[in-house]
Amino acid sequence: MKALLVGSALLVGGSGFARAQTLSVTGTPASMTISGAIAGSQPATLTNNSTTYTVSALPILPKKITAQINTNMPAGVILTVLLVPPSGATNAGRVALDNIARDVVSNVTNLLPQTKIIEYQLSATVSAGVISTSTRTVTFTLVNYP
Amino acid sequence: MKASVFAPVLALTIGVSSTLASAQTATQTVTFAVTAINQISATGSPSLTVTTATAGSQPTAATDASSTWAVTTNQTGAKISASIPTAMPTGLTLSVNLAAPSGATSAGLTPLGTVAVDLVSTITKVAQLGMTATYELTATAAAGVVAASTKVVTYTISGGT
Repeated sequence: MKALLVGSALLVGGSGFARAQTLSVTGTPASMTISGAIAGSQPATLTNNSTTYTVSALPILPKKITAQINTNMPAGVILTVLLVPPSGATNAGRVALDNIARDVVSNVTNLLPQTKIIEYQLSATVSAGVISTSTRTVTFTLVNYP
Repeated sequence: MKASVFAPVLALTIGVSSTLASAQTATQTVTFAVTAINQISATGSPSLTVTTATAGSQPTAATDASSTWAVTTNQTGAKISASIPTAMPTGLTLSVNLAAPSGATSAGLTPLGTVAVDLVSTITKVAQLGMTATYELTATAAAGVVAASTKVVTYTISGGT
């Protein structure tokens, strides 16, 4: 009976631990269209910081957030992401996205969920040419750290 | 501890550990595009005065190479053309030579008129500034004395695909 109680406690505690680790995003960034340049310079970079993410983790089990896109950007076009970190965590600054998971926030240990800004930047060189409207799916993943 | 009680506890512990180690994901969709971009600019205010001649020859042309121009295009095969709003006085010719950006071709010194003339061609996916714009003013003796006047040179980038 004592073992059953201990097991039940573990089950309840484990469910609580799972809920303490959260990662979600809110909003969809508005379409970014590069359309201008100063003569003699590369096209102007666009920035969107209208969306947010919410994250929490157990202090005894630090997490990190990685980011990647489903397909690489067209040649000459760069999409970067910057996640404002929660308290106690650090970010990697603006990270160029590709189809490989890249660390964007490390040492997430805040037990209570915190909501922070996601910044996207889109840049293109003249060599990219004209790019018709396209989409990429950005996947953020919360994984163990380090 | 009896095996019958131990097994469920072990299963519960394994289940909790798996939950703690699992990754969580969230996704967003980013939409983007790049439109055709064609921008040119010119800097400087050239001044040209024909003042001398070698006896027996037409007056000596005046030149000014103090101006520059810049271009950005993400298209292929664009060109630069130029025109002035009204014709030069009789006997006077205003010409301009735009240095070509990388990969493009300059037409060299080209007289300007009210009909646009091509100055630079085959401009492809380039962003370059500080290229020299050289103006030349020539006058024949028949032009006589011409008081200080101005002409606005309009440059246009077009034709890229």
